Amino acid sequence: MARRSPIKVIGSRLVQALPVIVLATFMVFSLLKLVPGDIAVTLAGDNATDARITEIRTIYGLDRPFLVQYGAWLGHVAQGDLSQSLLTGEKVAVSIGRAFPNTLLIVVIALLLALVTGIPMGVLAAIKPNGWVDKLISMLASLGVAVPGFWLAMILVAEFSLKLNWLPATGAKSFSASPVDAMRHALLPAIAIAAYGMAEVARQLRGALLEVLSSQYVRTLHAKGLSMSRILWQHGLKNVSVNLLTIISLLVNRMLAATVVIEAVFAIPGLGSLIVRGAIQRDFPIVQGVVFTMVVVVIAVNLVTDILCAAVDPRIEQ
Amino acid sequence: MTMTTRREAMALISAALAGTTLGGRAFAEGAPKKGGTLRISAPANPSSLDPATGGAGSDHAFLFTMYDTLTEWEFDTLKPKPGLAESWKFTDPNTLVLNIRPGVTFHDGTPLDGEAVKFNLDRNRGDAKSNIKADLLSVASVEVTGPQQVTLKLKTPDTALPGILSDRAGMMVSPTALKAAEGGVVTRKPVGAGAYAFVSWADGEKIVVKRNEKYWKPNRPYPDGIEISIIPELTTGARSVTAGQNDLIYQLPPRQKAIIERASSVKVVHGPTLYVFQIFLNWARPPFDNIKVRQALNFAIDRESFAKAALAGLAEPAYMNLPKSHWAYDAEVAKLYPYDPDKARKLLAEAGFKEGTPIEIGGYTDQDSVQREEILLEQLRKAGINVKFVNGTVAEASAAFFGPEKKGAGLLSAWTGRPDPSLTYSLMFTKDAYYNGGRAPVPPELEAAIKESRASEDIEVRRKAFSTVQRLVMENAFVVPLAFQFELVAMNKKVQGYRPNLLGKPKYDDVWLEG
Repeated sequence: MARRSPIKVIGSRLVQALPVIVLATFMVFSLLKLVPGDIAVTLAGDNATDARITEIRTIYGLDRPFLVQYGAWLGHVAQGDLSQSLLTGEKVAVSIGRAFPNTLLIVVIALLLALVTGIPMGVLAAIKPNGWVDKLISMLASLGVAVPGFWLAMILVAEFSLKLNWLPATGAKSFSASPVDAMRHALLPAIAIAAYGMAEVARQLRGALLEVLSSQYVRTLHAKGLSMSRILWQHGLKNVSVNLLTIISLLVNRMLAATVVIEAVFAIPGLGSLIVRGAIQRDFPIVQGVVFTMVVVVIAVNLVTDILCAAVDPRIEQ
Repeated sequence: MTMTTRREAMALISAALAGTTLGGRAFAEGAPKKGGTLRISAPANPSSLDPATGGAGSDHAFLFTMYDTLTEWEFDTLKPKPGLAESWKFTDPNTLVLNIRPGVTFHDGTPLDGEAVKFNLDRNRGDAKSNIKADLLSVASVEVTGPQQVTLKLKTPDTALPGILSDRAGMMVSPTALKAAEGGVVTRKPVGAGAYAFVSWADGEKIVVKRNEKYWKPNRPYPDGIEISIIPELTTGARSVTAGQNDLIYQLPPRQKAIIERASSVKVVHGPTLYVFQIFLNWARPPFDNIKVRQALNFAIDRESFAKAALAGLAEPAYMNLPKSHWAYDAEVAKLYPYDPDKARKLLAEAGFKEGTPIEIGGYTDQDSVQREEILLEQLRKAGINVKFVNGTVAEASAAFFGPEKKGAGLLSAWTGRPDPSLTYSLMFTKDAYYNGGRAPVPPELEAAIKESRASEDIEVRRKAFSTVQRLVMENAFVVPLAFQFELVAMNKKVQGYRPNLLGKPKYDDVWLEG
């Protein structure tokens, strides 16, 4: 079968992404409208009468049919306009542009930490399955999966911020303004999220490696007299690289979701805090904007993963 | 009665009460000095920085830094005192004359004169986007009667106005900025005449203001500016203060006191406020359409224990909508509902209410609200009242109860208080008020008494009118007040001169930073 050009692959994937974006934002929009609570009440202020609330609905177009409201939002998005917060009037694109880098920095650091710790753990565990090293790593991994991120976060703050005063307890700094300061702020939240990632990487990698190591060609390699480390690093890891890429893409998506809670613990003005605030206040343009961004990110991550997987293992394309 | 004598009367009351009721106040040590940036942790993003279009009671903590008000209040008693209006006078019951302080300008240089005040008041009471039209309902017209004077012609006598003008309705916005602003609102570009001028607002993140060098109050403000970080998680906010990243956090829940006091770098200040936890009732429908059931609920609650258990004792048990230190408090009304579960049972039996019938009451999902519910459940159970709390977020549960849906027989929530008590009562206990969830009628005497409370400027007459209002509200048991929450503020030891106030919305008038 002839190989398709990468550009065509990307193109067709982007076309497939469109219905996903529409469906995801539509579902979130519907959910926001289904749950009780009404932004018109918030907008109308503390002393509102029913008449005033009705008036507010008209002013902000909240009295229009549900589909019309969604259609209006989608129409703006198609023109590159994420519209603005109903409550404060800030452009949603501005809010997201400010919040996203904070979240991204945490996720990137968390991912690096998870890989730097998780990969060696997975490899070590796979070398001697059921040995004491493997058991210790299994235990650590179980702990990493079981410990809630927000709890770990609070313990980290208590120890490293409040007691030792090494790292800031709250907030975020802009990476472009001061990279070191930004990383210092992002480190503790990243560790809190990375614990789960580390466990996930270690466990999955161990499983995949064990499967490879028990295969016949590895036996042949042993028979050829290759050292264990060469078999592992040259042949084993190469064969599990596709698994690893898949784990990474799933982790990125998961970590993005985890920031919703972690950002609250550290008072980080990121995407997570933004969507929580939007959802609580029923400020739907904000929620829609963040969901839109998240969906785009997830699709992009999946696309990049697929391309990388295909590059590593050409069989995948067919 | 002229303003002076009225103020003297109120000063006497406040002097008698102030010393005894304000606990744990911080007094400035040494001479105040200028400089430094005050860093504050605030619990919520403002809904708007335009005083006329905002909606949340939590906005004031931001608005007060940027906007000065026509009148201000005494911190301890909320008695109105001169602000941008250096004096005021009711020349007859339907005419209020405000004399505006000369020489004051807005941050953009626009003079704050009679014209500017008229522009603001007309906007607040007439603009389609204004959320505070109800506050100025009694005003028929505003006339500029001198370069620095406006005269308010009233439809009905309204002596609550001086108090009302210390709140949103009295916050003066630069007319130049309003005229230039898109849609005529300055939500994101506020221009006032307050101690600080607006610098920036990043939604949900930070608000920055800097000293107004031309501020009219001598020597104020002390800090160069204020940076307010928005941290909705109060535990996180408190940590930011113990870690030294912020200088001050307000509106802490009582349970934080013990934790934060362990940090040696932090001091804690608290004082009573008008903020009252209460159960709103829908008296349009069973079971609370029956006065005896409502009264039973009021007898069934042990408020002393509630204040201790739910609010760590940093609260005053509430038997009506005003705390002891308020000038219109009535000790006799406070005696109406002593804790008496047997009486509650008896009343329920008389009402033909079957013991154990579940009553659905709305509530909020946060940790502190749920704790309050648990305590109430236990107290009510002892009187044979079986309450079922159905929780939602604040927006959701409140809209479901007060809005058209009319969900639940009651709502465990809170009332944040108003500068003049007549507002508190008219917003909850008149027929079409939003906070009268059932929109059911109230006795005509009650509506009349509320009106009466705004008719005279004489403090004694007003006090009597409020006694009647409170008595009628509580005899009819239209509400179940529980406890007044204290304002709890934690701050870095270098913060000096912070004083809590009865409204419970922080003002940083005399705050300065040491070293």
